[in-house]
Amino acid sequence: MVTTIMGKPFRAKELVTIGLKSKFYGLSEHDVSKVCSKLGFYPKMRIHQLTEQQILGITKELSDLTIGADKKAIIRSNIALKRTIGSYAGMRHALGLPVRGQRTKTNAKTARRLNRIERRGYATSTNQYNAIGLQESFHHSEQGVFAGFKNFMRILI
Amino acid sequence: MRITQILSGRSVWKGPHIVPLPIGHALKTGSPIRTNARSCTILPQFVGIKFQVHNGKEYVAFEVTEDMVGSKLGEFAPTRKRFSYTQTKNK
Repeated sequence: MVTTIMGKPFRAKELVTIGLKSKFYGLSEHDVSKVCSKLGFYPKMRIHQLTEQQILGITKELSDLTIGADKKAIIRSNIALKRTIGSYAGMRHALGLPVRGQRTKTNAKTARRLNRIERRGYATSTNQYNAIGLQESFHHSEQGVFAGFKNFMRILI
Repeated sequence: MRITQILSGRSVWKGPHIVPLPIGHALKTGSPIRTNARSCTILPQFVGIKFQVHNGKEYVAFEVTEDMVGSKLGEFAPTRKRFSYTQTKNK
Protein backbone atom coordinates (compact mmCIF):
# COMPACT_ATOMS: atom_id res chain seq x y z
CA MET A 1 0.00 0.00 0.00
CA VAL A 2 1.43 3.33 -1.04
CA THR A 3 0.37 6.76 0.09
CA THR A 4 1.36 9.78 -1.95
CA ILE A 5 2.23 13.08 -0.30
CA MET A 6 3.24 15.93 -2.58
CA GLY A 7 4.03 13.54 -5.42
CA LYS A 8 6.31 11.29 -3.35
CA PRO A 9 5.36 7.68 -2.62
CA PHE A 10 5.41 6.51 1.00
CA ARG A 11 5.27 2.94 2.26
CA ALA A 12 2.37 2.33 4.62
CA LYS A 13 4.54 1.11 7.51
CA GLU A 14 6.99 4.00 7.30
CA LEU A 15 7.32 6.32 10.29
CA VAL A 16 5.92 9.72 9.39
CA THR A 17 8.90 11.61 10.83
CA ILE A 18 11.59 9.54 9.14
CA GLY A 19 9.62 9.19 5.91
CA LEU A 20 9.15 12.90 5.45
CA LYS A 21 12.74 13.68 6.36
CA SER A 22 14.18 11.20 3.89
CA LYS A 23 11.90 11.98 0.96
CA PHE A 24 12.22 15.75 0.77
CA TYR A 25 15.56 17.45 0.14
CA GLY A 26 16.30 20.22 2.60
CA LEU A 27 13.77 19.11 5.20
CA SER A 28 15.53 18.75 8.53
CA GLU A 29 14.59 16.62 11.50
CA HIS A 30 13.78 19.83 13.31
CA ASP A 31 11.40 20.96 10.55
CA VAL A 32 9.65 17.60 10.58
CA SER A 33 9.21 17.58 14.33
CA LYS A 34 7.80 21.09 14.14
CA VAL A 35 5.31 20.09 11.43
CA CYS A 36 4.32 16.91 13.27
CA SER A 37 3.81 18.61 16.60
CA LYS A 38 1.81 21.37 14.97
CA LEU A 39 -0.51 18.79 13.42
CA GLY A 40 -0.62 16.79 16.66
CA PHE A 41 1.01 13.54 15.54
CA TYR A 42 2.56 11.34 18.16
CA PRO A 43 6.24 10.49 17.53
CA LYS A 44 5.84 6.87 16.40
CA MET A 45 2.97 7.54 14.01
CA ARG A 46 3.12 5.63 10.75
CA ILE A 47 1.96 6.65 7.29
CA HIS A 48 -1.03 4.26 7.14
CA GLN A 49 -2.47 5.79 10.30
CA LEU A 50 -2.86 9.21 8.68
CA THR A 51 -6.31 10.39 7.63
CA GLU A 52 -6.97 12.32 4.43
CA GLN A 53 -7.32 15.47 6.46
CA GLN A 54 -3.94 14.98 8.11
CA ILE A 55 -2.25 14.35 4.77
CA LEU A 56 -3.72 17.60 3.49
CA GLY A 57 -2.39 19.25 6.64
CA ILE A 58 1.13 17.94 5.93
CA THR A 59 0.91 19.17 2.35
CA LYS A 60 -0.11 22.60 3.52
CA GLU A 61 2.70 22.81 6.07
CA LEU A 62 5.36 21.59 3.65
CA SER A 63 4.28 23.96 0.90
CA ASP A 64 5.25 26.86 3.17
CA LEU A 65 8.82 25.56 3.56
CA THR A 66 11.64 25.86 1.07
CA ILE A 67 12.41 22.28 0.10
CA GLY A 68 13.34 20.18 -2.90
CA ALA A 69 14.33 21.94 -6.12
CA ASP A 70 13.94 25.42 -4.62
CA LYS A 71 16.36 24.55 -1.83
CA LYS A 72 18.86 23.15 -4.29
CA ALA A 73 18.60 26.26 -6.43
CA ILE A 74 19.45 28.38 -3.39
CA ILE A 75 22.50 26.24 -2.62
CA ARG A 76 23.66 26.44 -6.22
CA SER A 77 23.24 30.19 -6.38
CA ASN A 78 25.25 30.54 -3.17
CA ILE A 79 28.08 28.50 -4.65
CA ALA A 80 27.90 30.41 -7.94
CA LEU A 81 28.12 33.69 -6.04
CA LYS A 82 31.25 32.52 -4.26
CA ARG A 83 32.71 31.55 -7.60
CA THR A 84 31.89 34.85 -9.30
CA ILE A 85 33.40 36.99 -6.56
CA GLY A 86 36.54 34.88 -6.85
CA SER A 87 36.78 33.69 -3.27
CA TYR A 88 38.79 30.72 -2.05
CA ALA A 89 35.64 28.72 -1.24
CA GLY A 90 34.35 29.23 -4.79
CA MET A 91 37.65 28.06 -6.21
CA ARG A 92 37.60 24.92 -4.08
CA HIS A 93 34.08 24.16 -5.30
CA ALA A 94 35.21 24.58 -8.90
CA LEU A 95 38.18 22.27 -8.34
CA GLY A 96 36.02 19.62 -6.67
CA LEU A 97 38.08 19.74 -3.48
CA PRO A 98 37.11 20.19 0.18
CA VAL A 99 36.14 23.76 0.99
CA ARG A 100 36.74 23.97 4.73
CA GLY A 101 40.36 23.02 5.13
CA GLN A 102 40.04 19.24 5.25
CA ARG A 103 42.95 17.10 4.15
CA THR A 104 43.35 16.19 0.49
CA LYS A 105 46.33 13.83 0.60
CA THR A 106 43.85 11.01 1.03
CA ASN A 107 40.08 10.78 1.27
CA ALA A 108 38.19 13.96 0.30
CA LYS A 109 35.83 11.60 -1.51
CA THR A 110 32.60 13.38 -0.72
CA ALA A 111 34.03 16.62 -2.04
CA ARG A 112 35.29 14.98 -5.22
CA ARG A 113 31.86 13.51 -5.77
CA LEU A 114 29.77 16.55 -5.01
CA ASN A 115 31.75 19.78 -5.10
CA ARG A 116 31.35 21.67 -8.33
CA ILE A 117 29.73 24.86 -9.52
CA GLU A 118 26.50 23.14 -10.53
CA ARG A 119 26.28 21.00 -7.45
CA ARG A 120 23.91 18.09 -7.78
CA GLY A 121 22.79 15.15 -5.70
CA TYR A 122 22.37 14.58 -2.02
CA ALA A 123 25.05 14.58 0.61
CA THR A 124 24.60 11.01 1.82
CA SER A 125 22.41 8.87 -0.46
CA THR A 126 24.38 6.17 -2.24
CA ASN A 127 21.61 5.60 -4.77
CA GLN A 128 21.95 9.15 -5.95
CA TYR A 129 25.67 8.64 -6.27
CA ASN A 130 25.25 5.71 -8.60
CA ALA A 131 22.33 7.15 -10.52
CA ILE A 132 23.45 10.70 -11.09
CA GLY A 133 26.83 11.58 -9.62
CA LEU A 134 29.06 9.00 -11.21
CA GLN A 135 27.64 8.92 -14.73
CA GLU A 136 27.26 12.65 -14.94
CA SER A 137 30.80 13.22 -13.80
CA PHE A 138 32.00 11.00 -16.64
CA HIS A 139 29.95 13.05 -19.05
CA HIS A 140 30.99 16.47 -17.96
CA SER A 141 34.58 16.09 -16.90
CA GLU A 142 37.71 14.43 -18.09
CA GLN A 143 39.34 11.57 -16.25
CA GLY A 144 43.03 10.95 -15.75
CA VAL A 145 46.07 12.49 -14.16
CA PHE A 146 45.40 16.08 -15.17
CA ALA A 147 41.63 15.80 -15.03
CA GLY A 148 41.15 18.10 -12.07
CA PHE A 149 43.37 20.78 -13.50
CA LYS A 150 41.90 20.59 -16.99
CA ASN A 151 38.38 20.83 -15.63
CA PHE A 152 39.42 23.78 -13.54
CA MET A 153 40.86 25.52 -16.59
CA ARG A 154 37.67 24.85 -18.50
CA ILE A 155 35.65 26.48 -15.76
CA LEU A 156 37.98 29.48 -15.80
CA ILE A 157 37.64 29.88 -19.55
CA MET B 1 25.22 43.94 3.36
CA ARG B 2 24.37 41.28 5.87
CA ILE B 3 25.38 41.98 9.46
CA THR B 4 24.73 38.43 10.57
CA GLN B 5 27.11 37.11 7.96
CA ILE B 6 29.88 39.41 9.11
CA LEU B 7 29.40 38.33 12.69
CA SER B 8 28.79 34.65 12.09
CA GLY B 9 31.00 32.42 14.22
CA ARG B 10 32.11 35.36 16.33
CA SER B 11 30.84 36.92 19.52
CA VAL B 12 28.53 39.84 18.87
CA TRP B 13 30.17 42.09 21.44
CA LYS B 14 33.49 41.87 19.60
CA GLY B 15 32.07 43.11 16.34
CA PRO B 16 33.85 42.32 13.06
CA HIS B 17 37.62 41.97 13.02
CA ILE B 18 38.80 45.44 12.04
CA VAL B 19 42.33 46.29 10.99
CA PRO B 20 43.33 49.94 10.67
CA LEU B 21 43.76 50.60 6.94
CA PRO B 22 44.05 53.90 5.03
CA ILE B 23 40.49 53.70 3.70
CA GLY B 24 39.86 57.43 3.49
CA HIS B 25 43.06 58.06 1.60
CA ALA B 26 42.33 55.23 -0.84
CA LEU B 27 38.81 56.46 -1.52
CA LYS B 28 40.09 59.98 -2.27
CA THR B 29 43.00 59.09 -4.48
CA GLY B 30 41.82 55.74 -5.87
CA SER B 31 45.19 54.19 -5.13
CA PRO B 32 45.32 50.54 -4.11
CA ILE B 33 45.84 49.54 -0.48
CA ARG B 34 48.81 47.21 -0.10
CA THR B 35 48.40 45.09 2.99
CA ASN B 36 49.42 41.88 4.71
CA ALA B 37 46.27 41.80 6.85
CA ARG B 38 44.57 38.80 5.30
CA SER B 39 42.31 38.27 8.29
CA CYS B 40 40.71 41.72 7.98
CA THR B 41 36.94 41.50 7.49
CA ILE B 42 35.65 43.31 4.40
CA LEU B 43 33.34 46.06 5.58
CA PRO B 44 30.69 47.87 3.50
CA GLN B 45 32.97 50.91 3.48
CA PHE B 46 35.56 48.95 1.46
CA VAL B 47 33.34 48.58 -1.60
CA GLY B 48 35.02 50.01 -4.69
CA ILE B 49 38.49 50.14 -3.15
CA LYS B 50 41.38 48.32 -4.80
CA PHE B 51 43.42 46.03 -2.59
CA GLN B 52 46.74 44.30 -2.95
CA VAL B 53 46.77 41.45 -0.45
CA HIS B 54 49.84 39.41 0.37
CA ASN B 55 49.63 35.70 -0.38
CA GLY B 56 52.98 34.82 1.19
CA LYS B 57 54.95 35.55 -1.96
CA GLU B 58 53.46 38.47 -3.81
CA TYR B 59 50.60 40.93 -3.59
CA VAL B 60 47.40 39.81 -5.33
CA ALA B 61 45.36 42.71 -6.68
CA PHE B 62 41.56 42.78 -6.69
CA GLU B 63 38.77 45.28 -6.34
CA VAL B 64 36.15 44.86 -3.61
CA THR B 65 32.57 44.48 -4.79
CA GLU B 66 29.37 44.49 -2.80
CA ASP B 67 29.10 40.70 -2.71
CA MET B 68 32.47 40.39 -0.98
CA VAL B 69 31.29 42.22 2.14
CA GLY B 70 31.53 39.95 5.16
CA SER B 71 34.36 37.76 3.95
CA LYS B 72 38.03 38.25 4.70
CA LEU B 73 40.62 39.89 2.49
CA GLY B 74 42.68 36.71 2.43
CA GLU B 75 39.91 34.73 0.76
CA PHE B 76 40.64 36.53 -2.48
CA ALA B 77 44.40 35.99 -2.48
CA PRO B 78 45.01 32.24 -2.82
CA THR B 79 48.18 31.05 -1.13
CA ARG B 80 48.76 27.81 -2.96
CA LYS B 81 49.74 27.09 -6.51
CA ARG B 82 48.19 24.07 -8.14
CA PHE B 83 50.60 21.28 -8.95
CA SER B 84 51.23 20.92 -12.65
CA TYR B 85 53.50 18.22 -13.99
CA THR B 86 56.37 19.11 -16.32
CA GLN B 87 58.06 16.45 -18.42
CA THR B 88 61.68 17.64 -18.24
CA LYS B 89 63.65 19.21 -15.45
CA ASN B 90 65.08 21.92 -17.72
CA LYS B 91 61.79 23.74 -18.22
